[in-house]
Amino acid sequence: MGVLSEEIKNRIRAYLPRYPRKQAVTLPALHLVHDEYRTVSNEAIVEIAEILELHPSEVHDTMTFYEFFKHDGDQLGKTRLWVCRGLACMLRGAYELLDHCEAKLGVKCGERTADGKITLEFAECIGACDGAPACLKNDEHVMNVTNDKADQLIEALKR
Amino acid sequence: MASFEPTLLARVDKPNSHRLEGYRADGGYAAFERALKDKQPVDVVTQVKDSGLRGRGGAGFPTGLKWTFLPKDHPGPIYLCINADESEPCTYNNRILMEKDPHQVLEGIMLSCYAIKSPVAYFYIRYEYGTAYRTLQAAIDELYDAKLLGKNINGTNFSLDIYLHRGAGAYICGEETGLIESLEGKRAWPRIKPPFPAIEGAFRKPTIVNNVETMACVTQILRRGNDWFKSLGVPPDPKNPRDAGSYGPKLYTIAGHVNEPKCVELPMGVTCRDLVEKHGGGVWKGRKAKTVNPGGLSMGFLDCNSPLKGEDGKTEYDIPLDFNGPGKVGCLGLGTAAVTVVDDQTSMVDVLHNVCQFFSHESCGQCTPCREGTGWMLKILERMRRGKGRKDDLDVLVDVADRIGIIPGTTICGLSDGAGWPVKTAIRKFRAEFEAAIEAKTASKYAKLQMVGAH
Amino acid sequence: MPTVYVNDKPVEIGTRKLNCVQVAELAGTLVPHYCYHPGLSVVASCRMCLVEMGTLKDGKVTMIPKVFPGCQTPVKDGDVIVTGDYEKRDPLTPKLAYDAAYKPGDRAKKSQADTLEGLLLNHPLDCPVCDKAGECKLQDYSYQFGRSQSRLVDEKNTPPNKPELSSKITLFTDRCILCTRCVRFTREISGTAELQVVGRGHHEEIDVFPGRPLENKLSGNVVDLCPVGALGSKDFLYTQRVWYLKTADNVCPGCSTGCSIHTDVNKDVVQRIRARENLDNQGYWICDEGRWGYHYVRSPERIVRPLVKDGAGRKPVAWTELLPKLKYAVDEAVLMSPKRVVVVLSPFLTIEEAFATGSAFKKMSPFVRLVLGPVPVVGEDDSYPKDVKGNPVSPAKFIIRAEKCPNRKGVEAVLAKLQGEVIPFSAVLPEFGSLAAVWFAGGYPNAEWVNEALKAPHSPPALLVVQDFFLTKLAEAATYILPATAAFEKDGTFVNHAGYVQPFPRAAKAPAEARGELQLAFDLGNRKGLATVSTIRKDVAKAMPEYAALADVKVPVGAGKRMELQTV
Repeated sequence: MGVLSEEIKNRIRAYLPRYPRKQAVTLPALHLVHDEYRTVSNEAIVEIAEILELHPSEVHDTMTFYEFFKHDGDQLGKTRLWVCRGLACMLRGAYELLDHCEAKLGVKCGERTADGKITLEFAECIGACDGAPACLKNDEHVMNVTNDKADQLIEALKR
Repeated sequence: MASFEPTLLARVDKPNSHRLEGYRADGGYAAFERALKDKQPVDVVTQVKDSGLRGRGGAGFPTGLKWTFLPKDHPGPIYLCINADESEPCTYNNRILMEKDPHQVLEGIMLSCYAIKSPVAYFYIRYEYGTAYRTLQAAIDELYDAKLLGKNINGTNFSLDIYLHRGAGAYICGEETGLIESLEGKRAWPRIKPPFPAIEGAFRKPTIVNNVETMACVTQILRRGNDWFKSLGVPPDPKNPRDAGSYGPKLYTIAGHVNEPKCVELPMGVTCRDLVEKHGGGVWKGRKAKTVNPGGLSMGFLDCNSPLKGEDGKTEYDIPLDFNGPGKVGCLGLGTAAVTVVDDQTSMVDVLHNVCQFFSHESCGQCTPCREGTGWMLKILERMRRGKGRKDDLDVLVDVADRIGIIPGTTICGLSDGAGWPVKTAIRKFRAEFEAAIEAKTASKYAKLQMVGAH
Repeated sequence: MPTVYVNDKPVEIGTRKLNCVQVAELAGTLVPHYCYHPGLSVVASCRMCLVEMGTLKDGKVTMIPKVFPGCQTPVKDGDVIVTGDYEKRDPLTPKLAYDAAYKPGDRAKKSQADTLEGLLLNHPLDCPVCDKAGECKLQDYSYQFGRSQSRLVDEKNTPPNKPELSSKITLFTDRCILCTRCVRFTREISGTAELQVVGRGHHEEIDVFPGRPLENKLSGNVVDLCPVGALGSKDFLYTQRVWYLKTADNVCPGCSTGCSIHTDVNKDVVQRIRARENLDNQGYWICDEGRWGYHYVRSPERIVRPLVKDGAGRKPVAWTELLPKLKYAVDEAVLMSPKRVVVVLSPFLTIEEAFATGSAFKKMSPFVRLVLGPVPVVGEDDSYPKDVKGNPVSPAKFIIRAEKCPNRKGVEAVLAKLQGEVIPFSAVLPEFGSLAAVWFAGGYPNAEWVNEALKAPHSPPALLVVQDFFLTKLAEAATYILPATAAFEKDGTFVNHAGYVQPFPRAAKAPAEARGELQLAFDLGNRKGLATVSTIRKDVAKAMPEYAALADVKVPVGAGKRMELQTV
């Protein structure tokens, strides 16, 4: 009995025909698992590696490079709220916004709120400079985020 | 300049601009279907080569020429990878194209695949572009439903699959061999070259890596012809035999301290000043521009008040944003044509700290000079920002910035040229300000903000 | 002839495909490198091997104004390579026609110093407590190519050490320079892929996947491969300063591959075994069994002096007392019933020992039977790399042989020469109890291999002389038990499974009261003069044309060369 559901495993396997090598499914598999379980546990890595006929260390090596996936023992909140710290956003108040969000949520960047609703992150430039300072709500841009707008967003996410 | 009709952005404000129906109503895919019916792949290659199109991803390499590097009569498969990792800070033109007019990009991919005889295109898109990802996937689904993708398109021998592949927040995946390694499921450590991807790329097969905007340009070149493309932009500098010219329309993004940050399409060669003042609504809060980063952070900084030699009354602010312009004032190049303005109230220490923070976070860590150099530069700027800078720091920074990169030959890829360029241009052009900051020993207002341990 | 110039010195490359590091080596110039290893894929990431390059055409040199990684850059006819050591070139070599403004070597020299500054930036500089000190490439190259001071005033990164990388290997993470040789080794050679890089940028570290330590049969090679003090062998850790070690280039007796090894010795105690590159034999690597299998020579159980049967037990005896008795007993048995005298020559003996012992007995009587000692076979040949499921992948890059002795082929050749046939040990077992004498020249590192070969208990022959390391069941029944000497303790020659002949020198002295096999053969055969390996080699060369070359092997004086202290 593994940690990954048969459904997730099948979704991973569905990517295999797209590529001439199974290893290419590493990132899609990590995304699928991470989205579903909000972390990629060591057991999950072993199971991904089995599907892709890799050593767990190879999957882990790739995974840690991206510094994107939560490791064993670290759990993502229901929503991942990224505050862009890129230069364009920084010039228009991103650092102040980060400060504000940390205070508002009572967590530091990279941490999850106690209720498990939100994980706050900083992001390198998210390509939303026309709406700086900008945030990512999971993978969706939120533009022109003032402190008030951030508060509203956080309230909505906490509900 | 008289009125310029945007081409690449012509459809972005239309309702449902991302749908196949509307795109076809505007004449979309006619160029592709015509090419499929009437043109040989080599004809498409020749046309793109003759158009003078240079890659829009940052390096400006001639697109058609790149295609000709593929081995002749290769048994296949040959792959096309689309670089939609658009992670160069302050750059977002590809995002606009993908979100608002995905079919224009996809048609370019289909034409390019036809030209280079690629049966599969891997569309590598950065994770942060979730909306673009979903928009593109819907557009691709539409194409499969319309039988414009899949086996034997329009009854020809040409078959094509396009697969989206999401990144995971690593800047280096925008380097073409880093992208390939990432696509293959490995850490995105750029490969040593040669072999170049055209000879041995994704899955060790010949591969072309092209940018999103380049694909949109291919669509328009096949639709409107080379005369149209060459009527825009800047012809080659007759004094520079290696200049391939800067033809065609270009998407410029304007960001930072401007009143109207936005993406605009203009013929290549608009000046930095015009772009900011006329198209970006000018510097915000009635302030003046101190420095502009002309093409993504990697390109370095220009000094808006530094006079241009031999051009009376003009400053670095007046350089044309074509493939040659930024280089004339010590910047690395046009880059992504993402222009970021910094006003005269902003500390260059804070700006440079932000830059170093980025490159230290994003150095892939493969080559010693870049891995250690970017980390070191950040440590110095971190200390400087705390008001503990030392005079020697500036010399160390310039020394480190000068020595890392593919131009001196000390690294595998160009990330570290881009990491060094902003540092050395900022310090060389604003040395007095840095020295004053070191002298004053005052900490930046951001000094307490720690973002080291997170993700 | 295609020619490449290294610091002005012409080197003819012929049709060989060489990179700059290799061609510089041919020219006698060291191009320092860390990540490059000829047995692994080229990654060109450490950037220590940076050189300047250009071309010589029509007598004029055109240099490219940048540096190139020497390991990644192939050379072709007319290439000009200038290294950071240009100033130290042979002043008698005529200078090439460089551009007047070009300063040869400046760029490479600075780039190398810059790379070292980077590598040392976060390095703890804990040489006084580091095992690698004295043989560390970071020390050596810093001294030769680096600057004496770091300009870093900020805090260093301090990643945690990983003492449990495996049961045998520890990782001093902060000393690591991320050359990734170790990672590539586990992916490309062993195929077991335990090692990985984790993280990104200047926070990268080498690590294993949680719960999957670096346990494979070739794991120790990563210690040899590590150019700095990051990966340590726990077996060796904190036991020696390497400048006290003397190194002998000899041969691993652990299996029939007979890997070429370095044996590091201090005061005649073997301290460490390392792989010695030999492309004619095993390549660049050795297995862990060979690397850490030398401990039997230091075992407290080892028989280190002659013993004589004494009632139910046995007691030590001095050679002066023993030797006449032994000789008398052997002579008597041979005289009385030579056909019932059996001499067992183990496949652990050197060619010289087998030849000397065998011919000594054959000289006493041609009816004495020479028998090949038990040939230990454990499992099957183990071929690397493995795929993810553990199956061997071809082409094989390393094979651990199932035959756990170094010289079956050599001893067989000697037997074939001396008596025309090879009699296996099992053939004489049925008549064991009725034999007049058995001389068992063993030297088995594992007592069980002898015990297993005996199968059922046998009543001993009238005279049983056993020379071995441990008290095997055979030794327990012996009238006389003689200490054996190990491969590290003698000059000799092994012939591996493929017929590859490797003469090797002694690394350490045998225990004081051990009498070498060669000397014993002289003693028994009443042969005068020094029982040296070169004497026997001349005999072997004369008798066996296939080993004629042995006559000319130069035996190094003493136990190898002492390492030079290269640090400041």
